[in-house]
Amino acid sequence: MRVGILTGGGDVPGLNACIKAVTMRASGEGHIVIGIRRGWAGILECNPDDPESIKENTIPLNPSVVRTIDRTGGTFLHTSRTNPARVRPQDEPPFLRTEGGGDEPRDHTDHVLRVIDKLGIDAIIPIGGDDTLSFALRLHDEGVPVVAIPKTMDNDVHGTDYCIGFSTAVTRTVNFIHQLRTSAGSHERLAVVEVFGRYSGETSLVSAYLAGVDRAIISEVPFDIEKLARLLMEDKAANPSKYAMMTISEGATMTGGEMVMGGTEDAYGHRKLGGIGAITGEALREITGQGIVYQQLGYLMRSGNPDSLDLMVAINYAVMAADLVIGGEFGRLVALRNGNYTNVPIAVVRQGVKRVDVGALYDVENYRPKIRHVDGKPMFLY
Amino acid sequence: MKRIGVLTGGGDCPGLNAAIRAIVRTAVGLHGWEVLGFRDGWRGVMRGDVRELTVESVQGILHRGGTILGSSGANPYHEGGIERVRTTFRDLGIEGLIAIGGEGTLGAAAHMSEEGLAVVGVPKTIDNDLSGTDSCIGYHTAVQVATDAIDRLHTTAESHNRLMLVEVMGRSAGWIALAAGLAGGADMILIPERPFDVDEICAHVRRRHLRGHSFSIVVVAEGAVPVEGTFELPEYPTDERGFPRFGGIAHHLAPVLEQRTGFESRVTVLGHVQRGGAPCAEDRILATRLAIAATDLVEAGRWGQMVGVRGPDIVDVPLGEAARIRRVPEELYRVAEVFFDT
Repeated sequence: MRVGILTGGGDVPGLNACIKAVTMRASGEGHIVIGIRRGWAGILECNPDDPESIKENTIPLNPSVVRTIDRTGGTFLHTSRTNPARVRPQDEPPFLRTEGGGDEPRDHTDHVLRVIDKLGIDAIIPIGGDDTLSFALRLHDEGVPVVAIPKTMDNDVHGTDYCIGFSTAVTRTVNFIHQLRTSAGSHERLAVVEVFGRYSGETSLVSAYLAGVDRAIISEVPFDIEKLARLLMEDKAANPSKYAMMTISEGATMTGGEMVMGGTEDAYGHRKLGGIGAITGEALREITGQGIVYQQLGYLMRSGNPDSLDLMVAINYAVMAADLVIGGEFGRLVALRNGNYTNVPIAVVRQGVKRVDVGALYDVENYRPKIRHVDGKPMFLY
Repeated sequence: MKRIGVLTGGGDCPGLNAAIRAIVRTAVGLHGWEVLGFRDGWRGVMRGDVRELTVESVQGILHRGGTILGSSGANPYHEGGIERVRTTFRDLGIEGLIAIGGEGTLGAAAHMSEEGLAVVGVPKTIDNDLSGTDSCIGYHTAVQVATDAIDRLHTTAESHNRLMLVEVMGRSAGWIALAAGLAGGADMILIPERPFDVDEICAHVRRRHLRGHSFSIVVVAEGAVPVEGTFELPEYPTDERGFPRFGGIAHHLAPVLEQRTGFESRVTVLGHVQRGGAPCAEDRILATRLAIAATDLVEAGRWGQMVGVRGPDIVDVPLGEAARIRRVPEELYRVAEVFFDT
């Protein structure tokens, strides 16, 4: 069997370990593994009639090629946010370009099916978040054998308790928060730490919970800036070191405000977020007259090497996905459910992104984690 | 009994606690003096806000970042004048003061020294830009933090074929940018000493791409400046003392580079993490050596000096000459430059 593998969406630590483990398991059983470069873009931009194009967009994987890749973060195959079902005309490869048709995104699924056929790929293992996997679901609906692996730093794919990348992101965030304490304390300031998390506030919530910060603002719950200022001043007064610390999701909104969008929208409706932390910091400075330490963690949360939990899950997901492919079971998403490795129908990704269970985990009055009755909850709480 | 004061002023940095500990261990533990710690830099001196520092009170702080004394940007020359400082000295019966700080704190110390107050200076600033010393407390840790960040950002830059801009601290001098860029293998380094040309950066990125590199990492000091007339700098807000509050130049550069090169460009502003957290070994050792040397100056009654390091040696220089800006020398930039285009 010829098995294709690709990584899409933002890079996270653990992807290389995942690619390696799939390759080792599948080649061990005598199958051929083909790495597709730059996510779905590697198939979209592949002209199957041009051997050079095939060479540029794919790479044969075998144990010697992948031997050392698991020692670093990022993705050896590279990645993109390309969704072949919605391609902006200016992003079309030249050989697919047609005259007219307006500026609307175009659907090139037919081309993808043709490339998969020409490359002789019998099954595909895409590793990605909800957007990358939504196209995997589309291919599944078209009859392509697919087994998907969930990864996102936000841990927001439906159907699984855990996505590759989340643990390292939280570990990094907790470490940075503790490092910032010395600056915030020395200057007796209010510290605002902005974390990635567009629609899910889980990175903000869980990091705040684990690092013991005073307040956590999450994407799901709009906040009142006056009230937040009041709470932080109470926290500062109660702290013997005379500072207060808060986390905020990049997708957070003030009551009556909208999500702060920086930059322009890409073809997939994603905007480059970032900026709510700075705006919140400025507003807190004005309301309270306090000095502010504002820190946007951004890419530092997901760059670099994976921690052991992300390695563990990445490798186990890979083994499980390879086993499903070898056993001829397709249309599945590998997952963790209630602490157990399992797999679920890939159609779960149709439910969009998973968000924080606000009622169960967040104190909307006091803007902080409210974790009670842990008994019976999954390892990562929801 | 001899009684002295100690303060930490300006931005906090890793290693301040190591310096405080070394002063107390020498002055109290060895000489049997009394040491009073002023809270929040010069503000504590003006308000007479002190506590006694005992050997017990500095236990377990060597490895901790920040400063147990607190810090502020307060400057007696801007707020109330030197008379209040004189009064505090007299009221508390202190013979003199060890001021640990950067350009602002030591500049004030130099003035006071000229007016007859007994002050000794210890240099700290992660920017590392004081003329009287080869390196300042906090700098080595900041370089390590920035280097670690650049190492990590490589994985994301590679994965996405991106141009990554990493903004580090450095208002008047590009020491952190240069050192971390050199250590982290940056593809270009922009520092205040060497005005940048956006066209040149773009050409450089394109050349790298033609040679088969799919990503570039550009390290930018927050105080980097363009060749005049080639790029519009952001308008920096000013702080309460009228100094620009730097930060954000990378956010202004990124869209311009993205548009001109066609490479997706992303920004990481390292900000406060560069000066938070535990000091590296080098900073602990430097802080300890400088602090003990400062205590020795006090013992010898040699006020008005700042301690510093020159090559392997600890030296001291007059405060008035010490607190000038020291810029990255051309030859050091040339070392880094070797790796830009090869």
